Amino acid sequence: MFEKMVTIICNYVEVEPEKITLNSRFMEDLGFTSFDFMSMLGELEDEFDVEIDQQKAANIRTIQEAITYLEELQ
Amino acid sequence: MTYSTIRDILVQAEKQFGPEDAIRYKIGKDIIETKSYTQLKEDSERFSSVLKELGEQGNHIAITGMTSYLWLVAYLGTVNSGSVAVPLDVSLPAEELCELIDRADATVLVLDEIRQDVAAMVRERCPKLKYVFSMQKENNTKEMLSLRQSLNAQQERFDYQPKPEQLCTIMFTSGTTGKSKGVMLTHQNMAENATCLDMKIPSRTVILSVLPIHHAYCLSMDILKGISLGSIICINDSLMRVAKNIKLFQPNMILMVPLMIESLAKKLEEAAGLPPEIVKKEVFGEQFHTICSGGAYLNPAYIDLFQKYGITILQGYGMTECAPVISTSVSWNIKKEAVGQLIPNCEAKVVEEELWVRGSSVMLGYYKMPEETKEALYEGWLKTGDLGYVDQDGFVYLTGRKKNLIITKNGENVSPEELENKVAENRLVQEILVREKDGVIEAEIFPDYEYAGKKEITNIEDTLQKIIDEYNQNAPVYKRIYNIKVRKTEFEKTPSKKIKRY
Repeated sequence: MFEKMVTIICNYVEVEPEKITLNSRFMEDLGFTSFDFMSMLGELEDEFDVEIDQQKAANIRTIQEAITYLEELQ
Repeated sequence: MTYSTIRDILVQAEKQFGPEDAIRYKIGKDIIETKSYTQLKEDSERFSSVLKELGEQGNHIAITGMTSYLWLVAYLGTVNSGSVAVPLDVSLPAEELCELIDRADATVLVLDEIRQDVAAMVRERCPKLKYVFSMQKENNTKEMLSLRQSLNAQQERFDYQPKPEQLCTIMFTSGTTGKSKGVMLTHQNMAENATCLDMKIPSRTVILSVLPIHHAYCLSMDILKGISLGSIICINDSLMRVAKNIKLFQPNMILMVPLMIESLAKKLEEAAGLPPEIVKKEVFGEQFHTICSGGAYLNPAYIDLFQKYGITILQGYGMTECAPVISTSVSWNIKKEAVGQLIPNCEAKVVEEELWVRGSSVMLGYYKMPEETKEALYEGWLKTGDLGYVDQDGFVYLTGRKKNLIITKNGENVSPEELENKVAENRLVQEILVREKDGVIEAEIFPDYEYAGKKEITNIEDTLQKIIDEYNQNAPVYKRIYNIKVRKTEFEKTPSKKIKRY
């Protein structure tokens, strides 16, 4: 799941894939804007065939947190 | 045609477009439900009847939730019964929502159940509140009334004609002192703002509403203007699904904030090698032609970029205190460097470089804040807090801000003092300055080194980061602090011992 996420992340922000870790924070470390972050979640919904709760998504800060949440949904 | 009450807007739209679609929204993946103009009018009148029956007609009705058909029914039913709607940001922390409900003297709350935490808290913290309606519940419970059940039990007719000068909406906006202020808007303020300018938008234009509904810009331009024109208003269910919903609803026009436009520009540029008409079809659909931009300043370079794809960006400018539009571009008359032309019900002058505006959309004042009202209004003129000028054709140009308010690219107004006060509650923070840098909020902190020594705090930067993380956890996304800078020395001060901001 991590690798797939890295590929999707790189469509939104200019960051070298090898610099992305599980602890990377979307906005602070990777430079996501809030709207880019939401759009990416929409793409993750399609990729992993899940329905993300917007309120819960607002609390996701790191890639690890996103993966944990997506795994819960699957 | 200019209308002076929201009731008149709805009544004429229903007369003209009765059985045709007014609102479209998703009820499942790719399943669209529609409501006609007649249904919208009748359902809102049912809510007016519900308020009357409960003895709440004329009182203050708080509404909080994501944009939905029932949100609109509750809003229109409230204002058209002579009651006062208080739209509240659904993403606020529960304590803050309760504080606003109480401060607005709301006696009824219409609540989206994604905020069940608020339902529990209002019972303790909002003593004036008598009824809570759930937008989701099918049946009444001991704690909450079902909005659907209450509507179904009502007659269709409700005849009341609000007066143009009657207060209809209180909208909260960030104040420079850190305490949000309730902007009091009348029917005339809102209805004339939405209808006084003929933008030559044809009826039955399909609009996708993506901005938060508690914002004056969305409520005025998407909803009230949309209804007045007989538009088909499609509700975007989440910012996560804008791209998908564009494909599903096939809109002609979307109201956006600059942050969204910048993000979509990246998508267009990614496909720069392909013919523009194909890229546009892929991202927006063939039928799409207009973006209205507001909420914050948009770099005019985006206007050119989108034009290459056959999309017109109409930049506007306004503030909640002016219901909210002050100026806007129209497709046949664009000056790229300007934030549009003054709308017909608004005049402007410049006083010591600050833009002042006057007209039928200027608010009554801030709810129960006479001092702040006196500061903002002078002999009918609204002091915008923006530095700028108006050219001979009425085009408005902005050059800076007079007040400290941070306006983020998604149009949210953030008071730096509010954030500073919250973070400074921690003893380690001796002085703090919050500002916007490169599109995100940054805090510069001068820690209390003596206190750190006493408490044996060795890694001050990490400890400060933890304090910020803790603050961020309870703050809405747009008020979060993304960078911190630690100072070795105190901030430079003004003669009155305040930190120099610039």
